Parts: sequence; C-alpha cells; structure tokens
Amino acid sequence: MRAAGVVLISVALTCAVVGNAYYHKKQFYPSVVYITKSNPSMAIIYVQGLILVLMANTFLRKIFFGNLRAAEFEHLMEKLWYAVTETCLAFTVFRDDFSPKFVVLFTLLLFLKSFHWLAEDRVDFMERSPVITWLFHIRVASLLALLFSINLAMFNYAYNSTIAKGPSVQLVFGFEYALLITVVLNINIKYILHTIDLQRDSPWDNKPVYMLYTELIIGLMKVTLYIAFVAIMVRIYTLPLFAFRPMYFTMRNFKKAFHDIVMSRRAIRNMNTLYPNATPEELAAADNVCIICREEMVSASKKLPCNHIFHTSCLRSWFQRQQTCPTCRLNILRPTTTSQPSRQQQNQQPPPAPAAANPPPQSTPTPGAATQQAAPPPQFQIPTYWAHLTTPPTSQGLGNQQGQNSSTSQLPSGIVTGVPVFTHSFQPIIPLPPVPTPPPNLSNLTEEELRSMEGNLRAAVEARIETLQRVQLLLDAATAMMSQYQTAARSASINLPKSDTLLSQDDNKSTTSSMDNNRDSSSCISDFSMPSSTNGIADLRTSEVNEQLTPDSSSLLYSDRILRNNSLSSTPTPTPSTSSTGGIAPGELENLRQRRLVRDQSVD
Amino acid sequence: MAGSALRRLIAEYKQLMSNPPEGILAGPSTEENFFEWEALIVGPEGTCFEGGVFPAKLSFPADYPLSPPKMQFTCEMFHPNIYTDGRVCISILHAPGDDPMGYESSSERWSPVQSVEKILLSVVSMLAEPNDESGANVDAAKMWREDRKQFEKIADKLVRKSLGIPA
Repeated sequence: MRAAGVVLISVALTCAVVGNAYYHKKQFYPSVVYITKSNPSMAIIYVQGLILVLMANTFLRKIFFGNLRAAEFEHLMEKLWYAVTETCLAFTVFRDDFSPKFVVLFTLLLFLKSFHWLAEDRVDFMERSPVITWLFHIRVASLLALLFSINLAMFNYAYNSTIAKGPSVQLVFGFEYALLITVVLNINIKYILHTIDLQRDSPWDNKPVYMLYTELIIGLMKVTLYIAFVAIMVRIYTLPLFAFRPMYFTMRNFKKAFHDIVMSRRAIRNMNTLYPNATPEELAAADNVCIICREEMVSASKKLPCNHIFHTSCLRSWFQRQQTCPTCRLNILRPTTTSQPSRQQQNQQPPPAPAAANPPPQSTPTPGAATQQAAPPPQFQIPTYWAHLTTPPTSQGLGNQQGQNSSTSQLPSGIVTGVPVFTHSFQPIIPLPPVPTPPPNLSNLTEEELRSMEGNLRAAVEARIETLQRVQLLLDAATAMMSQYQTAARSASINLPKSDTLLSQDDNKSTTSSMDNNRDSSSCISDFSMPSSTNGIADLRTSEVNEQLTPDSSSLLYSDRILRNNSLSSTPTPTPSTSSTGGIAPGELENLRQRRLVRDQSVD
Repeated sequence: MAGSALRRLIAEYKQLMSNPPEGILAGPSTEENFFEWEALIVGPEGTCFEGGVFPAKLSFPADYPLSPPKMQFTCEMFHPNIYTDGRVCISILHAPGDDPMGYESSSERWSPVQSVEKILLSVVSMLAEPNDESGANVDAAKMWREDRKQFEKIADKLVRKSLGIPA
C-alpha cells in the first residue's frame, strides 16, 4: 500500500513538473531545457527514475523468482545494506568521476548483485525442497544464462574503456563484474550438481566432495581477483576501503574451504585405512539403520573400533566436523594421534598371557651383549632327539666354549638379535630375511599400562597380531638359516642323516598343530639334528656345532620363550631334558593357544 | 534424490507422525520447506508449567544432522534456560566446541544421533527441572532459586496465557 502510495505521489509530482514546464514553454525542447535548469524539477525527475528502476527490478524479480521466501528477503536486505554502504565508500574514491552515468552504472551493478544473491539462495534451496518444478528449472537456467551474458558484456565494456581511456571508475566495474562472473560460475556448478543429484535414484555420495572442491577453486579465483584489485587500486588511486570487508569474507571462506578439504581428505583416508567395511552379517545383526541419515544400510558401511556401524558417506561428512563416534563419542583418531612410543608399545604388545617374560634382547645389542644372549640355555624342555647331540665332552667343551664366545662376538650384532648365527666358517649363501625387532620388555610396564594395552579394541588386537607376525618372521628367518647350514654342511661333505623319521616323530608329539610356522620350526629343528652322526674330520666342528646348538636353539625358539611365561636362568651349561613327553610341543601349544585366543578376541 | 538433510528430516517427520511421543507435536510449517518446523510442547505434569501448551519453532541448518537445529519459543516464556526472546539454551542443541555457558561436557552435546524427538523431550524435562546454573535468563534463575512461590506464580500466568484463559 505504502509503495503504491509513494509511486502515485511520485507520478503525480512528475506530471505536475512536466505539466508546469509545458504550460510555461508550450513547446517540447524549451520545456526540457526548463526542467533541466530547475533543480527541484530535476530532483523530482531523479526520484521518479529511481522509482521506475525499482519497479523494473521488482517486475524482473517476480518473473525469475516469484515470491521471495522470508529467509531470502532477509538475506537480500542484509546484503543490500552492506552493498549500499560500500558503494557510498567507493563514491568517495571516485568523486571526480561523479556523474549521472556513474550513478546509473552503480545502480545497475547493485541490482545485478541482488539477483546473484537471490539466485544463489534459490539454488541452495534446491537441496532443501522436496519438490522442484519445471518452472523452477526454467527460471534458474534462464536467469543464470542472462546474468552470465550481462556480466560478460559489462566486463568487456569496462575492459575496453579502461584500455582506451586509461584507468577510471571502470576499473572498479570491471573488477566487480569479474567477481560476479565467478559467482555465476559457482551457482552454475552448484545448480548442475544439484540437478544431477535430483535425477538420481540413489544418494550421490561424492557430491559433497565435488561441492568442496568447487568452493575451493572459486574461492581461490576470488582471492586472486581481490588481491590483484587491491594492488592495482593502491598503485593508481588509494587504498580501496570499500573492498576490504568482502575481501576479508572471501579469504575467510577460502580458508574454511581449504580446511574442510583437508579434514575431508583426512576423514576419507581414515575411513579407508583404519576401519573395516561392515560385513553383511554385521549389518543383519544390527538393526541395519544408519543413525546419521536414518536410512537402511545396504552397502558401503564402515564399522568403527567401538563396533558402531554407519554409512561410509555419512561418516565421512561427520568426520569433517569431528573425529568421534556419533553414538558413543569415542575419539577415533586417538590411536593414531597419541605419542609415538605408546603406539609402538601397543603394536609390540604380545598376547596378554605371557606378560612378564625375562627381558628379551634389545634391538641393537653390543657384541658382548650378544654373547650373553646366546649363552643362557633354555629352561624349557629340549626334544628327546637332541639329547644325544648335546653336551660335548668337557675336555673339548672348554676350548669350544672359548672359541664360540670369540666367534659370536665377531658376528655382526644385527644378525645376532633375531637369528643366531651358527658359526663363522660358513658364508651366508642366500640373503637373510629382514630381522624383526623383538617385542618390548613387558616387565618394565606398569599394571595400568598393561591393562590399557589389553582389551578388545582394534588397536590392541592389531598389536597382538603384529607381535605374532613378528614371531612368524623370526621363525621364517630361522628356517632360512637352517637351510643355509644344511647347504653349508653338504658342501663340507658331512653325511646327512635322513631326518624324515625325526620329523614324523616330532609331528606326532607336537600335538595337532596345523600352523604353518609351527611346522616350519619343527621341521627346521629336525633338520638341525643332521650333523648328529658325524665322523672323521667333521668331528671337531660338530662338537662346536653342538656346543652352540643349545643357545642357538634357544634363540630359535625365542618366540616360544617370549610367549611362555618363562624366566630364563643364566647358567651357561645346557640342561637338555630327555623326557619323551616334552619336545617343542609345550611352546607350540602355548603359541597355538595364544593365537586362538587372539583370533577369538579379534572375532569378538 | 533429494539432499540428505531433507531425507533425514522427512524420515524424522514420518517417525513422529507414526509414533508420536506424549505431550509433543511437531512438523514442518509448510509443505515446501522442511527446514522450518513448528512444535507444540505440553507443560509436564506435576510442574509449575503443567497444562500449558507452548508453541515453538525449530530451524534446521542445511547440513542437518551434522549441525544442530535452533529452537525458539514463540510465546512468552519465563524459565532459567530460556532467553527472554524465546531461544532455548540446552546442551543438546549446542555443537561440541561452542559452549556459551562454559560448563557443558561434550558428552551431552549435539551429535547426529540426536533427533527432533530427543530435543523436544529434553526441552520437556528442562521445563520440569530447570538448570539454574546456566543462566540464559538470570532473573528467572535467581527467582527459581530464591523465590519459588513467585516463579510458580509467573509460570501459572504463562500457562493461562498459552491456553488463552484470562488470569
């Protein structure tokens, strides 16, 4: 009503002014001159012009947008207020260029901007509205095309006039239209993405990622434009104060987009590496609804360490905000972000039962330490078939002991740690597998640390599995060593006994173990017994071999040692047992039990 | 396919329609916009707000449910946890990180697991048991602590007002 009243009054005033001029001058041109000469008349004409422009604007808005929603109107008013203030600031810089044409251009720019804001709001609304009509698509598409071409034309005009006449207020216009072009591009991409999404029958998981990258690229373009503009303005005119507020917001948005991308990438990486896909059984066991989107989980679901299952895409967008489980708020990044030592401790944690083993060898022992490690004999039982090949004659033993000590201390320390070197007289034939670092000393840990390492959490289970894999690697290394010894022994023309009987015997004894590396270790031990029947020149060497056998086998069975809750005595004399029930089986049994335990826990 | 926020809101609306919790009524204000809801909350029994029917509006962000909605009573309210303009101040409506009163633990903050229903139920229990330590309305908090009689008198007036009964 009030607007109509204002329009009516304005039209009446304009009619009065024109009528008055015509009444006085009776002719067209004198009347025009009369009006332009009279300031009050011109003021009324200007107001009339402004009202006409506003009406045209309202008309176009009705065509392209229909009725504005309350939120859209609010945004429009808020932005318009800032835009008008900044335009007034820009006027101060270009007060010399001030002219009606200048005002017209600024008004046009203002209206174009308002259309951009409205278009952006409308396209954002696409995501929220359940029904998108054809009218909507036609309106938005034609509006975007129109805006783009107007921007391009105006930018072109500004560029040409700046090139032709040198820097003027057209610089500002050119820059503003360049910015508007990026805005239109952004809206366009969003519109296309939303349209594609709307046409699909299933949710489009990658859409947020595309949106993020679009935002980043557009943000980068805008920031570059602003910096270039400010640089040019400072060189030619003065500091463009009016550009600072939008520039600040653009930079903030760019920073946010960048941050979002980083968070998103981290989330995706975590999703892909840390968490397993939920199996169909797990999905069936749960109530099968993703608590984030409240929709059924059919595929592409992830299970967090706390056993909560969500859609991969839902989790991804949530992890951009926070790295916690939505349900129980478990910090899912904690296992990777805590300090490295504790992480390693977790990794190296052996199965829970064999908590307090004797200090296992450190990863970088000195030669002296190596000798010490080799020296303590295993307290566990030695297979019966070893009985006859251990304990050499004492007279020889002393000298051999010395020889062994010297030989061991000459050995490279790295090899000694994991796999014992038999004797220095044989050169390695094949390269050794990498020697893993032995598990850490658990007796140094406090009760609390141990407790924190136990449990069913994924990290703990992973640590156990890793330890077991290390043990397996140790065993593999031992096997490789043994085959080398065998080759060496062959080359030294030692008669090799058939070890098949031993092997079968061993197999019978060592329970029903089916684990590969258990088989490995038992077979390698049976290989090991090959120099037992010796003769002639090899005699001395064999006794040397035998002397070393027990310490070496203790290292060989190192894995068993750490798995068993055994404290090793430091008496240097080998104490082989002849009990027929023993053998390697107890250690293996323990090993097997641990593995089962771990497997059961990881299944849990 | 519509946006995920819209689909979730529609799902929640359906859930609320098929299985409405007692004392709560909520739904989108218009068919076109599912991001603005209106809700009616009945004052819980046995409290000074008993019997009152309080209208409120919920506005959801575009990235719902990753961000919490905002809730504002559209009637006059006098309560320690409701600002004088009607905005509700409870921890479930705050994203972890922003803590206007500086006392909330993150465990009671917004997460996608929460829902409109849970928010409204929290508001009902907030009406029943104000938390006078977070003073969204300091006057109300003070009165609740020191002059319960007067507080109940005001609450009774609001209940009558919400029902259109002259006091």
